[in-house]
This record gives sequence, structure tokens and C-alpha cells, in this order.
Amino acid sequence: MIKYFLVVICLVFTQLIEQNNSYNTPKNWPAPFYNFKKNKLSKEKILLGRVLFYDPILSKDSTISCNSCHSPFSAFTHVDHAVSHGIHDSIGTRNAPALMNLAWHKSFMWDGAINNLDMQSLAPISHPAEMGSNINDVVMKLNRSKLYKKLYHNAFNDSIATGEHTLKAIAQFMLTIVSCNSRYDKVMNNENKFTPQEENGYQIFKKNCSSCHTEPLFTNGEFANNGLASDALLNDKGRARITQKKEDAYKFKVPTLRNIEFSYPYMHDGRFKKLNEVLNHYTNGIKKSETLDAKLQNGIVLTSNEKVDVIAFLLTLSDKQFLFDKKFAYPKEVIHLQ
Amino acid sequence: MKNTLKLPFILSLIVFLFNGFNNIYGQSDCLNIQINASFKDKPLMLNDTVYAFKNNHKIRFETLKFYLSSVTLIERALPVWKEEESFHLIDFEERDSNALCLEIPDGLTFDAIQFNLGIDSLTNVSGALGGDLDPTKGMYWTWQNGYINFKLEGTSNLCNNPKNEFQFHLGGYTAPWSNVQQIKLNVANTSAFNISFNLLQFVNELDLENLNHIMSPSDSAVDYAKLAAKCFSIK
Ligand code: HEC
Ligand code: HEC
Repeated sequence: MIKYFLVVICLVFTQLIEQNNSYNTPKNWPAPFYNFKKNKLSKEKILLGRVLFYDPILSKDSTISCNSCHSPFSAFTHVDHAVSHGIHDSIGTRNAPALMNLAWHKSFMWDGAINNLDMQSLAPISHPAEMGSNINDVVMKLNRSKLYKKLYHNAFNDSIATGEHTLKAIAQFMLTIVSCNSRYDKVMNNENKFTPQEENGYQIFKKNCSSCHTEPLFTNGEFANNGLASDALLNDKGRARITQKKEDAYKFKVPTLRNIEFSYPYMHDGRFKKLNEVLNHYTNGIKKSETLDAKLQNGIVLTSNEKVDVIAFLLTLSDKQFLFDKKFAYPKEVIHLQ
Repeated sequence: MKNTLKLPFILSLIVFLFNGFNNIYGQSDCLNIQINASFKDKPLMLNDTVYAFKNNHKIRFETLKFYLSSVTLIERALPVWKEEESFHLIDFEERDSNALCLEIPDGLTFDAIQFNLGIDSLTNVSGALGGDLDPTKGMYWTWQNGYINFKLEGTSNLCNNPKNEFQFHLGGYTAPWSNVQQIKLNVANTSAFNISFNLLQFVNELDLENLNHIMSPSDSAVDYAKLAAKCFSIK
């Protein structure tokens, strides 16, 4: 009797907690991949994560924060830097990806080196050319700060910063970085209409691009070789660096195209500055190699008008509300208190 | 009406008290197993001790750390008890970490102990974890994900590099380089036994002239993990 009673109470309780922490999946999107059960969202944890994201305390000499390379106004990429001072053995060779909709990613980094968003922050924190610190030093510094004692206490009911809690908080903030309010989304929700040019671009896109840049996330989460000539000097083998498999050579994670207007330069090494250069690559620049994706064997055939239309469509993926969302901005209300 | 309410209350009180006692006394029931490392049958000394091995070559150790996980007790080839949340970082720099305290029920009989050297693949993809698995423990790769299952560092004149160093960071959780090793040891006297890692046996098998760094998942990392797994015994 009492057992059942307790079980029922328990169920009701967990139900309530679940509801409070529910993650807003935009209409018609697939379920997120991230396991929220292992890192339940809370306002306090997200705030802690946001403060950490913007705090150079994470770097050895306290000069670089995550937002040095992932700024909100450029969809969390490194504006105008072809290659951000890269990570690990790809020092100075890779372009910082735009950060958004990360809850739907199965792996992180251009080569998928990182298996879980929680663990992402370890890479920049530990790399000598980046933040040059390590998680132990970071945790030690955080534990000396009054502000963080309070923030950790509010978030985890424990004022002591640990590696686990630090990583989980930063992940929580990143999970909230969702872009789903572009013109494209409004058109899909019947709140807006494409111009005839955008509509034509959309049709061409669906035919030629969406097998990899799949709606609604504009990535299928897979790795592909889209025919970029490899840089002889860097010879970045992409996915094969992780799997050591020949068939993965020169494959990179298919990037999202949301907010593509703002996340230039393009590709893993930032080789293209403009979208028309990207389209010229797909029509005239595809380089054949053993791992080139089957769909691109013959390049993509587009007239110059069609290219203009595709670009018009790509611009409908810009989400101004996202770029200027105060929820993602520098946490002046908190840092100010210090 | 009142009585029907009272009965469950009293019952639950009894259950509660019983559980409470169980917890208090349960602790003294903990089966204590020391994890030792030896070199030439003596306890391993880190840092200052230079050992002779392989015909008077020299070797010195700075770090020996590894994970033991999924500790299971076995009787007649069947598991009879499994530790929950079973992850232990064994670190020979921090002495007191090297004891397992298994809270087994009274009177449990078993004839073997089984554990993993390293961390299983599911745990490797489970995001940030705490306790012995906290990434501040220095047993997590940063440039690529995954736990380091076994870490041995030191110097030897056999190592052909400027500081004569060797560093073996063994790990990897995906095929073909899944690194975790299952170890089963028969136990004769189940009330008091220790587990010993024979480091001399391990380094005698190494080819320090040609391979003195393993820092990522690879075939050699798997071979070395298999080697390490053979060096455990009951003492
Ligand atoms: C010095 C520049 C720099 C700093 C600082 C930096 N990053 Fe990055 N970030 C990059 C680069 C470059 C990549 C891509 C590297 C690669 O693929 O090898 C990246 C990749 C990522 C990704 C993967 C995105 C994807 O789509 O796969 C995430 C998430 C991320 N960074 C979050 C962070 C966080 C959190 C911090 C702060 C703790 C941070 N970054 C600090 C440059 C930086
Ligand atoms: C076979 C899969 C595939 C197809 C088809 C494909 N892409 Fe890509 N796309 C990729 C991959 C992979 C990358 C990243 C390559 C790299 O950086 O090495 C990429 C990168 C891009 C980028 C740069 C994004 C950034 O943030 O740097 C743009 C823009 C782009 N593609 C647009 C398109 C358009 C438009 C089409 C159709 C005309 C298209 N793609 C077709 C796989 C594909």
C-alpha cells in the first residue's frame, strides 16, 4: 500500500521536475540528441555557464574567453578570422564553427573529435595556443572567487567548483543557443512568404544541397568530402585523423547553414570569404579524389542566375532575433556585481 | 479507518529503522581490498628510486595511475555481487586511494573477483562525470575525447629522446582500439586478500628503445593494455 503511495508521489514529483526543465524543441524539429537527463537544465546553471563562457578566467593569463573566438554577433564564430588560433594538433589550421543548435549535434569539431558537448570546453582550455590553461588550474582559480562561490552554490547547491560542474554549466549555456526564428522558419510556419527568387533558390537548394545540409537543422550531422582541394601544407585529413580510416580522409562535419550570412569566412579552413565563392566551388571547383562524395562527382550545375537565387534563399536563414538575443549576451548584470 | 492508516505507518517505520541499522552496521562489513604495485616483489617507489632491470639498464617511475571499474564477485563462474557506480582511480602518488571497500552482504561467498582495467565505452560518451571520473583527475584526454585507462610515466636510459622519458597513456573506447580489459582472478581466502600489479613484469615486456610514447588510441595501446592486464594477481 504505502509502497504504491510513495511510488505515485515520486512519479508526480519527477514529472514536475521534468516539466520545469523541459527543453523547447522548435515545432517540426527532430528530438535533440543531447541527453538532458544527465544534465538537467536550470536557470541558475545556465547563468553560471554564460558567465564562464564570457570570462577570460578560463585562460592561463586571463585574456581569452570562449567568446574571443565565438562571438554572438557572428553566430558565435570568429569574425573575419580564416583560422582561429586552432585547437590541439590543428594549431592555426581550422576556422571556428558557428555555434547553434548544438543539442542536435552527435559530435563536435570539424572532425568529430569530441563525443559530448560537456567535454568540448576541455579542448580550448587545455590547448597551449588557445587558452593555455588546464581544467585543474581553472577550477582552482574559480574556487578563489567569491562571485563564483555564489554562482556555483545557486546552481549546484555546492559552492565548490569541480571539473564536472564547470563543464556541465558551460554545456548548459551552449544548449540554450538555439536559432529557430529566421525568415525561413517563419515561412515554414506559414507566418511569412518567400519572394519568387527565394522560392526558386529554395527549390534548387532542395534538389542539390539538402542531402547534406538537411532541413530543418541544415546539416545531416555526417562527415563528407565536398571536393575542396586539400592544402598541401596543412594536409588536414579531417575525420580520418580520428578514425585513422582511409575512407574518411578529407571528410569534415557538414556545417549548418543557418546564419550563414554572418559566419564567414567559410569551410573548415576559412578559405572562402563570400557565398558566391562557395557556389562557384560547387559548380566549378570540385576536386576529384577517392573520398569525394558520390553526389558531387560531376559538380553541381547551376546558371549564374540560379546561384543568385540560392544565395537569396540562404539569406533567409539569418535569424536577427538570435544574433541580438540578450539571453546570450555578455552577462553584465552578474559581472557588474563583482 | 484509523487502523488501516496506522498499520502501513508502523510497517514503514520498522522498515526505516531496519534499513538504518543495516547502514550503520553495513560499513563494518565492507570487504577491504588493497591495490598494490610492486617492483621486484617490493612495494613500488615513485620518483627518487632508480631501479635496475633488463641486464642493468635503469628505470625510474614518476606516475602510475589506472582505473579499476565494474568490480564483480563471482562464484562458480556466475556473478554473485556487482558494485554499483564502480569506478576507482588507483593512483600510486596518493596512497589512500588504493583500497577498495566493497559493501557486500553478510555471509556472501565467492571464489573469484572480476574487474575492468579502464573505463567502458558507454561511460566514455556520457559527458561530464564527477568523483573519480572528474576530468580534473588528469585521466581524460582533451584534444580527443575519452578516458585514459592507464598511465605510466618515467625515465630510462633505454629511451632514445632528449630527456630519456617514457609516457604511456593507454585508452580508447571505439573499435578497433577499444582499450578496456576484463580481468578475472581466483581468490582462495576470501576474507582477506589484496590485488597486486607487478610493474617489473610489465616493463620487462616493453620495447623502450623503439616505443616510448603512446598518447592516443592505437594498436600498440591495445597491446600494452593487454599486457598490463596480465600483470595483476592476488596476494
Ligand atoms: C582561440 C579560439 C577559440 C577559443 C578561445 C574557443 N574556441 Fe571553440 N572552437 C574554435 C575552433 C578553431 C573550433 C574548431 C576546431 C576543430 O574543428 O578542430 C572550435 C570548436 C568549438 C565547438 C564545436 C562546434 C561544432 O559545431 O562542432 C564548440 C561547441 C566550441 N568550440 C565551444 C567553445 C567553448 C565553450 C569555448 C570556451 C571554453 C571555446 N570554444 C573557446 C576556436 C576557439
Ligand atoms: C556531399 C554533401 C554536400 C553537399 C551536396 C553540399 N554540401 Fe555544402 N558542405 C558540405 C561539407 C562537408 C562542408 C564543409 C566542408 C569543409 O569545410 O571541409 C560544406 C560547407 C558548405 C558551406 C560553408 C559553411 C561554413 O559554415 O563554413 C556552405 C555555405 C555550403 N556548404 C553550401 C552548400 C550549398 C549551397 C550546396 C548546394 C549547392 C551544398 N553546400 C551542397 C557538404 C555538402
